[in-house]
This record gives sequence, structure tokens and C-alpha cells, in this order.
Amino acid sequence: MVNFTVDEIRALMDRKRNIRNMSVIAHVDHGKSTLTDSLVSKAGIIAGAKAGETRFTDTRKDEQERCITIKSTAISLFFELEKKDLDFVKGEQQFEMVEVDGKKEKYNGFLINLIDSPGHVDFSSEVTAALRVTDGALVVVDCVSGVCVQTETVLRQAIAERIKPVLFMNKMDRALLELQLGAEELFQTFQRIVENINVIIATYGDDDGPMGPIMVDPSIGNVGFGSGLHGWAFTLKQFSEMYADKFGVQVDKLMKNLWGDRFFDLKTKKWSNSQTDDSKRGFNQFVLDPIFMVFDAIMNLKKDKTAALVEKLGIKLANDEKDLEGKPLMKAFMRRWLPAGDTMLQMITFHLPSPVTAQRYRMEMLYEGPHDDEAAVAIKTCDPNGPLMMYISKMVPTSDKGRFYAFGRVFSGKVATGMKARIQGPNYIPGKKEDLYEKTIQRTILMMGRYIEPIEDIPSGNIAGLVGVDQYLVKGGTITTFKDAHNMRVMKFSVSPVVRVAVEAKNPADLPKLVEGLKRLAKSDPMVQCIFEESGEHIIAGAGELHLEICLKDLEEDHACIPLKKSDPVVSYRETVQAESNQICLSKSPNKHNRLHCTAQPMPDGLADDIEGGTVNARDEFKARAKILAEKYEYDVTEARKIWCFGPDGTGPNLLFDVTKGVQYLNEIKDSVVAGFQWATREGVLSDENMRGVRFNIHDVTLHADAIHRGGGQVIPTARRVFYASVLTAEPRILEPVYLVEIQCPEAAVGGIYGVLNRRRGHVFEESQVTGTPMFVVKAYLPVNESFGFTADLRSNTGGQAFPQCVFDHWQVLPGDPLEAGTKPNQIVLDTRKRKGLKEGIPALDNYLDKM
Amino acid sequence: MQVVGLISGGKDSCYNLMCAVREGHKVAALANLYPPKSSKTDELDSYMYQSVGADGVELYGEAMQLPLYRREISGQPKNQKADYVKTDGDEVEDLYELLAEVKKHHPEVRGVSAGAILSSYQKVRVEDVCRRLNLTPLCFLWEKEQNSLLAEMIENGVDAILIKVAAIGLGEKHLGKTLSEMAATMKTLQDKYGVHPCGEGGEFESFVRDCPLFKKRIVIDETEVFIRSPIDFFSIQLFQTITHQDDPVAPVFYLRLKKMHLIDK
Repeated sequence: MVNFTVDEIRALMDRKRNIRNMSVIAHVDHGKSTLTDSLVSKAGIIAGAKAGETRFTDTRKDEQERCITIKSTAISLFFELEKKDLDFVKGEQQFEMVEVDGKKEKYNGFLINLIDSPGHVDFSSEVTAALRVTDGALVVVDCVSGVCVQTETVLRQAIAERIKPVLFMNKMDRALLELQLGAEELFQTFQRIVENINVIIATYGDDDGPMGPIMVDPSIGNVGFGSGLHGWAFTLKQFSEMYADKFGVQVDKLMKNLWGDRFFDLKTKKWSNSQTDDSKRGFNQFVLDPIFMVFDAIMNLKKDKTAALVEKLGIKLANDEKDLEGKPLMKAFMRRWLPAGDTMLQMITFHLPSPVTAQRYRMEMLYEGPHDDEAAVAIKTCDPNGPLMMYISKMVPTSDKGRFYAFGRVFSGKVATGMKARIQGPNYIPGKKEDLYEKTIQRTILMMGRYIEPIEDIPSGNIAGLVGVDQYLVKGGTITTFKDAHNMRVMKFSVSPVVRVAVEAKNPADLPKLVEGLKRLAKSDPMVQCIFEESGEHIIAGAGELHLEICLKDLEEDHACIPLKKSDPVVSYRETVQAESNQICLSKSPNKHNRLHCTAQPMPDGLADDIEGGTVNARDEFKARAKILAEKYEYDVTEARKIWCFGPDGTGPNLLFDVTKGVQYLNEIKDSVVAGFQWATREGVLSDENMRGVRFNIHDVTLHADAIHRGGGQVIPTARRVFYASVLTAEPRILEPVYLVEIQCPEAAVGGIYGVLNRRRGHVFEESQVTGTPMFVVKAYLPVNESFGFTADLRSNTGGQAFPQCVFDHWQVLPGDPLEAGTKPNQIVLDTRKRKGLKEGIPALDNYLDKM
Repeated sequence: MQVVGLISGGKDSCYNLMCAVREGHKVAALANLYPPKSSKTDELDSYMYQSVGADGVELYGEAMQLPLYRREISGQPKNQKADYVKTDGDEVEDLYELLAEVKKHHPEVRGVSAGAILSSYQKVRVEDVCRRLNLTPLCFLWEKEQNSLLAEMIENGVDAILIKVAAIGLGEKHLGKTLSEMAATMKTLQDKYGVHPCGEGGEFESFVRDCPLFKKRIVIDETEVFIRSPIDFFSIQLFQTITHQDDPVAPVFYLRLKKMHLIDK
């Protein structure tokens, strides 16, 4: 940092109410990184003139070359609010009081920890990791393209994580210069975006929720407008300030008049709610008109008028800027007049919560343990003197190959260099020893874009990096000093790793390097899965083609450093059933003395989604859950109370119901049956893929009278067999993943899109024109399996005019019986089995079904 | 005390007999129940008796130089409750008949050696039969810690091999392995799935080739592997690693002892 020493930053960290932790989230290409640069330029890390060109937060070479963000990057900024603006900071937990000359006053310095995250859907997991460690989100929307699919995905995640949003309408320069929109049209565009955003917010959260009002509204100033590229931005507060004196009203009162249906009558000088011939919308009159005037004067080279405006608005152009004209002059002018950094930083400090405010309502979402234990209370109050609770959300590669910084947020206590702490992985269970390490933290560091700075310690409410814990954690985990601490809840990703490739070393002798490289890759990306198959194959699973491409490149060049052979990408499938088992299946234990009777049946539509989305949760109180299942899915309440477990992994979208009547010793074998269920649902009978949407019922159990003969060794395999038999008798089906594709293109290219989609089993379900632009948006469903090479295909068929965004949307049944030879699902099952090195052919039912 | 040794051919009954001798008892005779010759399989669905390896038990009398009484199992496991009361046609009644016969020939016999470790199901039934015949059951292995028991048997010279496997994690490759070769595997499976290391839950059955009580040693010349049901050899993954190869559906394999002979020690 140019302006600050580490000691000064460290001092700021203690003023926890003056901290804002925020992420910048948006659809790809809506200009997040460019906008972030203007914030960074304001905070003085890079020179102001270079803002808009540098992409400071894109630290990787490929990010700069491709002009997309791949990894999220954190930087700390310092912003000194003008004393007169301090009143806009509302709420006692939002600022620290300091004593100046014996008088108490609000402290005006703010430390802003900002995380720039990728916009491409394939990297959504990075966004999830960023959201976890922040409390607020700056949602950037390109006002020309409007709210896009990824805007919705990331905003939805933010609301679910209780992250408060503020909105920024970017690329206003394009709207003005390229589209030449009029004032009213522009207003309508803005209003539509605000409405769209609020619809999403209302769908996934509400104003009565624990966060308080979270809707975005320009009239309260949590919506910004401007151009990140040109470095200017405003909220209604900026304009309101210009007029407040003239009108003789307070700034915040005037802001209400500058948005929505408030019209100003130029003759009577009165505000009203309806438009008359003499009145004009406040926003158009007082906000847009002056901007249009500036643009008109400068772009049309009206020198006199420009000079007048420079004088009137009190803009001080530098000497070399005075000779500019056209676009460069306009850029300089607007940047002097409405500097983006100031506007954005004000908006952030006013409207985003401090850690103290946010942790009060976020604790219950974050902490798995009881909400009144020491750790929970410390998180809730953001207590720097409480026990350390830190969540590691991702691993960042260091310049030292194979080592990583653990990146995360300190929620309570302090993390310090050299301190001893408990490192709890995601599988840690309180009281047990698994996935738990007690180690010394070698170093704590500040992470700032491309640079890191060592720091003595970091108190609660801040974002930190740790050195020396990477070997104990795979992707993330909890770091604490409280010995009874439970884990911080693991992150839920909005995308699934549905696309896989197999890799092998070109030179077989390099195998150990490949294995080591895969381990590193698994660490460096929050979502990628590296799987070592039984058949000796090494599989990398990612969210999409681009994600995999980047992962493979990293693996080849950074992690393994060996030449690789890669297979064509393949998709992961799910196994399900579409009818109830045609008989009650029986399987006997190896000693033949224990019998399980079971059936399988499909879940009602939507239940599997609800389980995956967390609405129906394995951890819910069972009576409340039974009530929901009964009301929404017409399950029998008594039965729904007897759900033994979810699976796979204890949380997945398959259920095990106990529908037995008065069976002796049943509870004794519950653990074994559950273990068999987890196993069976993780590795389905058809092709070893996860099961999805299957409900299993245990109808009856006959057990050996002596406990010794009904142990896990007997019951686990029996349970697994009976579940397989149940699936095979219930018309098993294969589910394939489907993308929602959103394509923006000019009208002429729409025809080409249909052609490409049809060839790939895709179907269009929505086609609309972006209001006020010649652009069309086509939305379609496309099987992931058909998506390889889709982007390239689409571009070549539309003359490069169509750009798709694919985001995983749902699972869909692949029509056809996988058990019948010659069908498509059958082919997929056989191929998958072959690839995984399983025995050829689907095992016959009599392998699992026993006779009485 | 003069005792009769109930033997199945397996390690537990054999070791229990060794314990009885160590305690000063004298073995007067051996007794064994075997599956009906008419049944097609060597493996009887019995809740009480080991049936695989019955062919080998024939040699026990000569190996130990003791009279051996044998009886075909004719009953069925009719009463499957935890407690037992005399039930006609139950397989337990075969044991009664067998021991009654032994008692007729050896009226001096007072005790019965039986190798139950944890199965109260079996113990309850042996005790019931003994009570009716006025005999004393001797179960020295009862409720011993299984890992150390297994080690103790190995240490005391019980040379036995696995002849049947029926539990998760056990497969064909384990057939014919000696107890000492299996000890580590059983410990692992116990930690992982709660499998009983001595096979007390029916996880495996064994056949004793030699022990200090034997005057002659049994040499197995020829065996044949049988499988109970058609089995699908799954390869499975746990936690996405290739660390283990357990067959998830736990097939049952057993070994038929086709040809054996005795040699002097």
C-alpha cells in the first residue's frame, strides 16, 4: 500500500464497527473488475489514471489475457469519510466513537475488505467462497444487458448467506454513447433493473427477515449509476447535495423526489405524484439532464458550452487535460465531476453492514453448534477477546509450489502468528479425533491483490490469510482455540461438478507427480473434485467446460508440471426410479439368519430439489420436517416422522423410511442399515453413480435373536443388497444434468441459435428482446452431455455474435429403460461401467434378491 | 472330571477342549453333529452347528486317539427365540440325542466342553441340553476378549485354516488362510464394520489341522471352492480412494475338504 503501513492497517482492524467486508458480484462481463479498479485507485494503491485499464484484481496471467476473472481476490482499502457525511451512517453498530479534544465523535476512517469474484458461471464456487467471508455485496449489473442468469444465481446465494446487497448500474457510457437512449427510456431501463433485482431479493429473502430491509432503492441511495470503465459514478445523494441548498431541503428528503414517479413542475416549482404538461420526472430533470448536457457539449465539440460547464460545476481539470476533446475529455470531465471511487465507497460505508451488525444475524447460519455456547456468543458479538473462530473458505497458491495460504474470515477472537489452534476439517465431529489437528499457525498475513504483507495478528471481523495450515485442510475448515467448538457450516455451492475428464501422464513414470499435482489442484479450487478411480483412472470433475479447461491448464503448468493426456469430457449421471417396486424385496444376511424386506419408490416432484436446496434438511427437527413433508408432498405424517436418514453423505436427496410395525431389536441394527443405505445411494446399482430422488421403505425385518449374529458385518451388506434389489424392481432410470443456457445476440443471429440447439437436443423456452436495445435474449435447456463444443459451434453459426452462458439447472430423466439392451440409457450405463472398470453388464436382480 | 468334547472341526471347540485339559479334566470321548448326507450342500442353514468341514471331522477320533460319536442333524431351527424350551423336531434335540448316546457308552462323563464365546443363543441351548442330561457345561472361552483370544489360540499351537467366509470384507482369497495370517485383517474389519474377529457372528468358520491334543496331524491334500450365490464382483470406492477392495454385498464362499490323510507327528 502506498498510503499505509501495516501498523496503521492493524490499528484500523481493531475498530471493528468501521470495517466493511464486501464482495463484488455480477454476471460475466458486466464490469466488476474494472469497477473494482476504480475503488482501488481511490484507495491509492495504483495511480488514478490507470484505473479502468489495469484489472488490478486479476492476478493471474491468463486472467489478464482472457479478460475474465478466474479466482476471487481480496484487497483492503481505506476510506476517510467527510465529517459532514457521517450522519448518513446509521445504526450504533456501524461506527466507532473516538475522543477528539475531550469530545466524543464518530470515527470517520473506514477499512474496506473487498473481494472481487469471477462472473463466469463455471467459477461460481469462487463466488460462494467470497460471500462466506463477507457481509455485504456490491451487485454490478450492466445496464445495457440487464439482469442476467448469473446475476440471479449469485444474488440468490448472497441472500441465502445473509449478505446484504447494494446495486450498481454499470456501463452507463454505453447506454448514452452507443444506444443513444433518451432520458425517459434510460429511467425505464434503470427502473426495470431495480425491479428485477428486488424480485430476486423478495423471492429468496424478505424485508422482515433478520437482516432488516434489504431491497435496493435509489431513493435511499443504495443504488449507484455510472461507468466503471470511465471512472465515474453517482448515487442520488450526489445530485441531491448539489440541489439541496437551492431547494432549501435536507439531502435525504430531496433524494426521495429524485426517483420514481415524482414530477417537478417548472412553473409552480412544486413536486407532485402525477405528470402534467409542465412537469418533468425528477430523475430526468435533475439527474439525467445535466449528464446529457455534459455529454452533448463534449461529444459534439461545443467548446464554449464545455468551458461554461467546467466553470459552473467547479471542475478542476489538470493542465494536460485541458487540451483534450471528445471521449478522452469527457472521461476526464466526468471523473472529476463524479469520481467513482468516492461515490462507491460512500455507498458501501453507508449501506453495507459492519461485521458487528452482520454477525449478530449471521451466527445462526454460520455455526453448527448450540447457539448459546461460548463460540456462538463470541461470533454473535464479534468479540475480539472471545475464543478464536475462523472459517477458511479457500486455499490460495503461494509462489512456493505446492504450498497454499489458507484464506478466510476471523469471526471471533484473534488469530496470531505462532499461536496454537485447533484445525477442524469438514468431517470433524465434536468430541472425536477425526479430521482434527492441533498445530501452530506459522504466520498470519494480509492479502492484498497481488501482494501479501505479514502481520502480527488479526482480530475478529477481518479477513486473513494463514501460512502453515494448508497440509491439514483439503479445501476449507474451521480454526478455533475453543476445545468444545463445533464446526462452522460448510459452504453450499450453487453449481455441481457435473463434467469430468480423465487424465493420465504422457510418460507413465510421471505418475507420482500427477497424483501430487491432483492433490494440489483439489486444494486450490473450492469445488473441483479429483477422484482416483478403482480402474486406475484419475478423474477431474468441474462445473463446466471452461472450468475444466482452466483446471487442466493449472494442473499441467503449475501443479504437476508434466505433459498430460486428457480424455474427452464426460458427464456424471444420477440413478433414480420411476415406479414403486413390483414386490417387497427380501435379502438375507451372509449367515442367512437376518432378513430385510424393502421397497423403493420415486419421491414426489420437487422434493429432491428441496433437499438439495436445504429447504428440507437432514438436521431439521423431525416433527417440523414431517409437517412440511405432509403438507407439501402429501406424505403420511406418522411415516414422515420415521425417516431414518438422508443419503448419500447423510444429507443427499434420497430418504430411508421405517414403515415397520413392532419389530424387535430394530433400533440395534439402525446404524448398520443406515451405513448400507449411505453406501448404496452413493454408488448406485446401475453404474456406480449417486442415486437421486429415491425413497426406500423398510417394511419388515427378521433378526437373529442373539445380538452377536446381527452385527454390522452381517447387516451392512444385506442392507445394501436389499436396496439394490428394490431399485432394480422399481423401473430404474438414469438422470442426466441439464444446463440453462442464456444467449444474448442480435436478432439476425437468433435463427442460427435454434439450429445449433436443435442439433444438440436443446429446447428454447423463452425468447425476448432486451427493451431499448436491438439485442435478443434466448433461454433454453441443453443437456450437459451435448454442451461440449457448444460455445464454439454457436459462434461459428452466428458469425461470432452469440455468447452463451451455461449454468447447471436441473436433472432430467433420460427416456428409456437402462436395463433394456440397445436403449440410450443402457448404452450410457454400459459405457460408464466400462470406464470405471466395473464388471460388464448390469448385475442381474438375483444377485441381490433372496427367496424366502 | 471326565468330559465329552463337542467338536465342530473349528478352532473354538478345539481350543476349549485344550483349556479343559489344562484345567485337569480328562477327555473321555468326542461328539459331533454333521449335516445330512442327503442334503445337496455342505452348508446347512443351521443356527447351532458348523457344518462346513464335516468331512474332516471323521479324522478327529483317530487324530486324538479318542472314541468319536457322530450323529446326522435331522431337526430344523424351529425355536429361534433367545430362550429355549424343548421343542420337538428342533436341531437342538439332535444334540440331546447325541449326548445321551455318549452318556450311555461312557457313564463316567460328567461335563461337556463347548466352544461358545459370545453367542448366548448357542450357550443357552447347550446349557438346556446339559441340564436335562445332568451334565456340566464347560465354556472356558465365554466372553473373552476376541482379539487376545485369537492371539492366545495361535500362541498355544492351534493350527487352523479358514474354510468358510460370510461377511463384509472377506472373500475367496481368504479361504485356506491360517489364523495367524488372518489376525490383522480381522482387526481391521472389526474397526471398520464391527465384524467379530473370532468369527463369532458367523463371519467365518475354521478347520483345525493340528493342535497339542492331536497325536497325529491332518494333512489336507485336495480342496474345492464353492460359492453360495452368483456373485457380482463390484469394485467399489470409499471416500474416493483406492484403499480398499471389500466386496460390498459380502458373498459367501466355502471350501470343501475333498481328500485328507493323517501323518504321525
